[in-house]
Amino acid sequence: MNENIAIKVNNVSKQFKVPVKGQRNTLQERFLTPFHKTEHREFNALKNLSFEVKKGEFFSVIGPNGAGKSTLLKIVSGIYVPDEGEVLVNGDLVPFLELGVGFNPDLSARENVYLNGTILGLTKKELDEYIDGIFDFAELRDFADMSIKNFSSGMAVRLAFSIAIRVKSDVLVLDEVLAVGDAEFQRKCYAYFDKIRGQKSILYVSHALDSVQKYSDRVLWLKEDKTYEIGEPEKIVNAYRNAN
Amino acid sequence: MLSKNDIDLYKQFVKTIFKMRYKGSILGFLWVLLKPFFMFIILFVVFSSVSGQVGNLTSKQYAVYLLSGLVIYTFFNEGITWGMGSIMERANLILKINFKRDIVVISALTMALINFCINLMIVGVIGTVLDIQFSVIGVSYILLIGLVMFLGMYGISFFTSIWMVYVRDLAHIAELGLQLMFYASAVFFPIELIPERYRFVVEYNPIAIYIQTVREALTHKNIINLDFILISLAVAIVLVLVGRLYFKHSVKRVAEHF
Repeated sequence: MNENIAIKVNNVSKQFKVPVKGQRNTLQERFLTPFHKTEHREFNALKNLSFEVKKGEFFSVIGPNGAGKSTLLKIVSGIYVPDEGEVLVNGDLVPFLELGVGFNPDLSARENVYLNGTILGLTKKELDEYIDGIFDFAELRDFADMSIKNFSSGMAVRLAFSIAIRVKSDVLVLDEVLAVGDAEFQRKCYAYFDKIRGQKSILYVSHALDSVQKYSDRVLWLKEDKTYEIGEPEKIVNAYRNAN
Repeated sequence: MLSKNDIDLYKQFVKTIFKMRYKGSILGFLWVLLKPFFMFIILFVVFSSVSGQVGNLTSKQYAVYLLSGLVIYTFFNEGITWGMGSIMERANLILKINFKRDIVVISALTMALINFCINLMIVGVIGTVLDIQFSVIGVSYILLIGLVMFLGMYGISFFTSIWMVYVRDLAHIAELGLQLMFYASAVFFPIELIPERYRFVVEYNPIAIYIQTVREALTHKNIINLDFILISLAVAIVLVLVGRLYFKHSVKRVAEHF
């Protein structure tokens, strides 16, 4: 793969079979109706999608609900496998499909930093080094030994974000991370975006069109009919706005 | 290939499971030791008063006899149950992050192994108090059996942890199977008490064989069934290797079925 490419999505299709009457994961259902095939509704999440994210590029994905944005992120992150086509990633990839993944409400903030940080690919040694900085940045120094369950949701998000920005990987996958926090938190996020622009390759999904237009180098618009357009942020965002 | 982060993640998972079990209790970590200890004491008092003299064992030997059977069975029970549920339990994480999935399986098995070692130590303490002599070779043999079981259950968990996602009934089936195994393993009584014609249940049951072997090693310092243990070791290693391949292949598709 070309050195200047961070993510290569090559002709990817993904179909889900959704059981009409819920999932049949128990034997009872299979015994009671052994010859009755479960009714499935087939649902194309992605169809023949191809694009490349260049090294250091901020690449955003927009589109209506059900267009396949989340599925795309999960496939790129290696959580789902595509039915057809392939995804190639150059370098380490860390997905942020949610902030604070693995947070355990009963553990202290400090314990959660180690748990979540390790899940995101940091080593214990690195976390030992970062931990003070993480609490300072989150403005939670006095709460380090409190259980997360006693945190407000804003505090938890701040902590999660402070850990997330320490992650080492060259390729980031971000799903609506801005949707959770208050204005102050969003300001911090944008400051972070400014900082890493050009250094890390980013695949970003958002409904916040203004931020997409401001930060992206290119935008992918996934449509409900499984066609798509890629281009300059201003052009694509305007076209998307006009279509709705 | 294991990275530094994989090893740290493994430690974090084990630590978290461990912490969560005793979180909020006043005695906390002490329960790890106290619970099996008192459990053993209760069983010992109940069963030694009921049976008095059992087979050719003194009542002190019987204590160790009973406890070692329980330790082996508990290890089996926890290893199978936790290994099987390991992927399902981490569904939330697996849907969000691309970490190495087999870490959750080995973490679950490690928890069972830690419990096994703790229980074994408690039996050692009780045995010493009861003035039973342990031999180095006997204890080493027991550790080997522990290793064989660990590997075997690790290999099995590569399969069951995946199957569990597709057929949720497995949890209930396993619970019944393990209950059956408990009675078919002669945990509470010497094999001699079982009528001749039913004895095959115990004689062909690997867990019962492990229990018998451990008991002989503990109470009479005898090394028995060596060939069976070595065959088990070979089978366990094959299970791990084949299981790993199956797991690596199948785990990619698991996330869609949670």
